[in-house]
Amino acid sequence: MPVPILKQGALLIATLQDALTDKDWLDFQFELTKLVGVHRSTGVILDLTVLDVLDSFATKSLRTIAEMVKLRGARAIVVGIHPDVAFTMVQLGLTLHGIETGLDLEDGISLMKHPTEFRSH
Amino acid sequence: MVFKDTMHIGNLEQFEGTDVTPGEISKRKDFLQFRDADIERLLEIRQFSQEHVESIVEEFYHHLLSFPDTKEFFRDPRVLARVKKAQIDYFNQLTAGNYSDDYVRGRLKIGRVHQNIGLSFDTYLGAYRRYLESFFLRLFDAYRSEPEKAVNSFLSMLKLVFLDISLAMDSYLRTIRLQTEAIRELATPVLQVRQGLLISPIIGLIDTQRARQLTESILRSIREQRAKVVVIDITGVPLVDSKVANHLVQTVEAARLMGAMVILTGISPEIAQTLVVLGVNLSTVRTVGDLQGGLEEAERYLGYRLVKDDKATPFQS
Repeated sequence: MPVPILKQGALLIATLQDALTDKDWLDFQFELTKLVGVHRSTGVILDLTVLDVLDSFATKSLRTIAEMVKLRGARAIVVGIHPDVAFTMVQLGLTLHGIETGLDLEDGISLMKHPTEFRSH
Repeated sequence: MVFKDTMHIGNLEQFEGTDVTPGEISKRKDFLQFRDADIERLLEIRQFSQEHVESIVEEFYHHLLSFPDTKEFFRDPRVLARVKKAQIDYFNQLTAGNYSDDYVRGRLKIGRVHQNIGLSFDTYLGAYRRYLESFFLRLFDAYRSEPEKAVNSFLSMLKLVFLDISLAMDSYLRTIRLQTEAIRELATPVLQVRQGLLISPIIGLIDTQRARQLTESILRSIREQRAKVVVIDITGVPLVDSKVANHLVQTVEAARLMGAMVILTGISPEIAQTLVVLGVNLSTVRTVGDLQGGLEEAERYLGYRLVKDDKATPFQS
């Protein structure tokens, strides 16, 4: 099932669904980076609110997407990670270092308005 | 060998106000090898015991009254008279032949009383030893012609005494357990000081369980209060081991995944040394010397600026 990618002004918002296959992730990667160019977007928000599990492949894909988006000249922010998911990820050593994160979509959008020198570890 | 109260094994209903179940008592008696033969031997010395009980109890209190710490408990002569009487009753119970639930209940209750008046366990043990000495000296004296019988009665009595001590210990252990739980339940507070800024001052030792609890409440608060920064202050934490340190690091990372930054403040020189020596990697954690510094850093990050109003009238009471 393809991931819906919505255009909101200069931003792209992708709401990731549960149970994406590895192929879905790969398709999503290319679709998203393509759309960044098509819409000349300055930022991408990856919303994980509905995900209640995030495995290592998904984490790796997120990282790849974030880096690809950066190379295409836009910012990527991951939002909506549930507390339980966050802690499980950390325990598995999946920490998304170098990727910006936000609490939820609203937070992500407001982060996009401010350049933040603080957050990259 | 069939035990009189084998039927209690598996009965999980605890004696009131204790952690002890009748099944546990049966197991304990079994392990102490306290058997029907012991009960019979104890019954056999009942008469002897009743004859000597008063002098034994007198000696016992003479011992207690000669130490300032224990003397303190019996300042009131009425109290002394009452406990002496209770002691005589107890002593008679030792050879009464009935060591089932009511007996156990009585022992557990005494343990709680000791606890309530603040009698320490070592005093209890020391007093008990004095008791046994008086008892056995008289026993061996009375059964001089039958030393074997004296030894056997002695051994049976010893089993019962050990059971009693274990029951008294249950009361002490239960109190310790309850206290530990109470301390653990002292919720680790996560408080909002400004929009988007939480502080969590931690006092006391952090064990793995508390660390987990802390993580949970911090992550939950970040979500509920939409926090961007959490300042965790560990000034009141005496020491941190590598496990807890790693847990803190994980909390920081998990908070970051939720878009919040954690500032750790109040790391004492001892803890700093421990962390460095243990090689805990805290490079992903933002640390500031004290809580004030942490709050200032957080406010800067959130875009708050604190301005002192020189014209403000000082507060007058």
